[in-house]
Amino acid sequence: MILQALHAYYERKVRDPDPVRRLPAAGLEDKEIPFILELSTDGRLLDISDTREPQGKKKVARRYLVPQGVKKTSGVAANLLWDTAEYVLGLDTKGKPERVAEQMAAFRQRLDALAPHAEGDAGLEAVRRFLAADPLAAAQAKPAWAAVAEEGNPNLSFRLQGENDLVCQRPAVFAAIQAAATPAAAGHDPATVTCLITGQPTPPERLHSAIKGVWGAQTSGANIVSFNLDAFRSFGKEQGANAPVSPAAAFAYTTALNHLLGKQSAQRMQVGDASTVFWAQREEDKDVEDGFAALFDELPDDPDAHTAQVSALFNAVRSGRFDGAAGNNRFYVLGLAPNAARIAIRFWHADPLRDVARHIQAWFQDLEVVRSPQDPPYPTLFNLLRAVALQRKADNIPPTLGGDVMRAILSGGPYPALWLNAAVQRCRAEQQVGYLRAAVIKACLTRSYRLSPQEAPRAMLDKDNPNAAYRLGRLFSVLEKIQEEANPGLNTTIRERYYGAASSTPLAVFTTLLRLHNHHLAKMQNRGRAVNLEKLVAEITSGITDFPGHLNLPDQGRFALGYYHQRQDLFTKAEAPATAETTTTGD
Amino acid sequence: MRPEFCLDVRGDYACFTRPEMKVERVSYDFITPSAARSVFESILWKPEIRWRMERIEVLSPVRWISVRRNEVGAVVSARNVAGAMQSGKGQLGLYVEKERQQRAGLFLRDVAYRLYARMEPVKGEAMGNLAKYTEMFQRRASKGQCVNQPYLGCREFDARVRLVASPDGEPEPLTSLDGDFGWMLYDMDFTRPADPRPMFFRAQLTRGVLDLTQAEVRS
Repeated sequence: MILQALHAYYERKVRDPDPVRRLPAAGLEDKEIPFILELSTDGRLLDISDTREPQGKKKVARRYLVPQGVKKTSGVAANLLWDTAEYVLGLDTKGKPERVAEQMAAFRQRLDALAPHAEGDAGLEAVRRFLAADPLAAAQAKPAWAAVAEEGNPNLSFRLQGENDLVCQRPAVFAAIQAAATPAAAGHDPATVTCLITGQPTPPERLHSAIKGVWGAQTSGANIVSFNLDAFRSFGKEQGANAPVSPAAAFAYTTALNHLLGKQSAQRMQVGDASTVFWAQREEDKDVEDGFAALFDELPDDPDAHTAQVSALFNAVRSGRFDGAAGNNRFYVLGLAPNAARIAIRFWHADPLRDVARHIQAWFQDLEVVRSPQDPPYPTLFNLLRAVALQRKADNIPPTLGGDVMRAILSGGPYPALWLNAAVQRCRAEQQVGYLRAAVIKACLTRSYRLSPQEAPRAMLDKDNPNAAYRLGRLFSVLEKIQEEANPGLNTTIRERYYGAASSTPLAVFTTLLRLHNHHLAKMQNRGRAVNLEKLVAEITSGITDFPGHLNLPDQGRFALGYYHQRQDLFTKAEAPATAETTTTGD
Repeated sequence: MRPEFCLDVRGDYACFTRPEMKVERVSYDFITPSAARSVFESILWKPEIRWRMERIEVLSPVRWISVRRNEVGAVVSARNVAGAMQSGKGQLGLYVEKERQQRAGLFLRDVAYRLYARMEPVKGEAMGNLAKYTEMFQRRASKGQCVNQPYLGCREFDARVRLVASPDGEPEPLTSLDGDFGWMLYDMDFTRPADPRPMFFRAQLTRGVLDLTQAEVRS
């Protein structure tokens, strides 16, 4: 299904009306060509044009659609109508003249093989005439040669004077390449099997192209379909025969995936250690494709894009965009992680857009928690993951956590227990319940409530919540506030000393804390305030029948949430003291 | 009319490995016909009969879990074994520590299926007296007997199997599961023993039901 979906995406993109976004057709490849040799029709070299443009500190060559390159190893293997200076001109860069001669011969041989398919094409003829003379001398005579020599052994290709397209892009040549790339109609070949992507009979592709751009994998690329050890093979089959895929389909899915994983791709993001790509089934849902990354990631060049995209999604759901048939179009999310020279699928979702939109909406609703004005309304996934990691470092995020959370978001399942665990642990270790951690805890508790419906946690202070752990969290927050107001500027408050114990074994510390708070209240200058706070303590404790000996993990989460809610509430009130006097004592 | 049997098969985990992702395993979305066939075969198999899968009903939603496991990357060499047999001595061991390979897997969780298969006579006594074999299966399946533990794709994912005598009162298939799930492995074609070929079919699910009698199988 994954490869089939990628294959379908390729089919969609190869027909893209915009040539810039179009994916290369079978037998072609998108390649950086720094130098173009400009030829006249009679094969004279007129000029060498430099296609490189400065990008930051480096110069980046223009990309051209060229015939697909062969897999280069130590042997001599030439590409068609483009290659390095060694192959094209016979430039000796390593001091091995015999080898260079071989390389040149190989390059010409491929041209000669193509010639009968594109009989009398002016471009092809010009190239052959140029190569028949002394190409290296002609090139070295040009003033632009210095730049070529400086690059060492750059890729070169040809263009006819006055044309925009390269020689390999000329219609006649292009058709000849395509004809050569399409295998002869299979059928009687004994090696013919069914392609598991298209279902067509085909000889199987032996080795699939590498997938590049997965973080942590080799830079030269790794494979999804590969059988690189004996234990992976079945029925004595070799390499690609273990999973029969036609060469065309293999080209299609690897090209599509490499395109999605590319550096410039807007359809990829990093979720923990999983490089994640996503795409829509149909062209009309392109806007969802474009906005998906912004839903989870803060884009560096536009921090507001995140909020805008979330709002746009909410509006789209509200306006019924994903109702009816349109919601049935699928949306694909694929998480890839490297594993020993191979690429493993971390997660895979192929859900109707209706469900995806609903689940993402639920995700943001789960996260919703009262916040201060400077906190962002829709926290990003990356920041939420970082909030539960040691020192808030991305490296310290537990390896599979990102993928598990992403899976939970997209499938609507429970959030991983590890996440709640980590959030509670960090709260205890740092004695701080920040906005992000409170959001994580609330999301985890909400989702477990939803799956086993009881009373769901609220976004804001829930005064009637009878849960003892929640109440104790609130109580702790008020006790801390009392101490703060009694002793302004204190270095170490009860939070630093007692948060961990209070949230895990309340019985052991709350007697001490409640005794202390009487002294703190006595110390307060503002008697009215002291009375109000005492009333608040009484109101909270009235709902606690018994102080539990210890709290389990979800209850520790509730404690943290109660603490956070109450503290936010106390601070909001403090900003408007006039109302604080009347309402904190309320009911 | 050849007899049809129905089994209710459940398990905590399952992995019906896709051939294209069998190294870093990824499961198909639901049980493949060949995996379903082997569940029947684990209860009764004789050279005289053959099981033909008729229908697969998916009963629980598709849930995934990602697991990393330690496995080995090498196989014992057949040549070394032959050599050892001839000379009477030799080293045939495979050291797990040296050949260790960590492999990731995307498996299914909490699966439940209802499998319908038909018993077909192939040769011998079954041609005239199929009732003997059907009775045998009936008896074994209803008592929970099996030749080897039925499993869900991989041996380590054991299946809980129950013979369904009548479909009344059984849970409905998962009607929300609908549509085209692409090309799926049907079975291996063993007509050429030296070179078994995979056969594929288009997995079309209609309201949680995969009708294999309608499937076009390509080999």
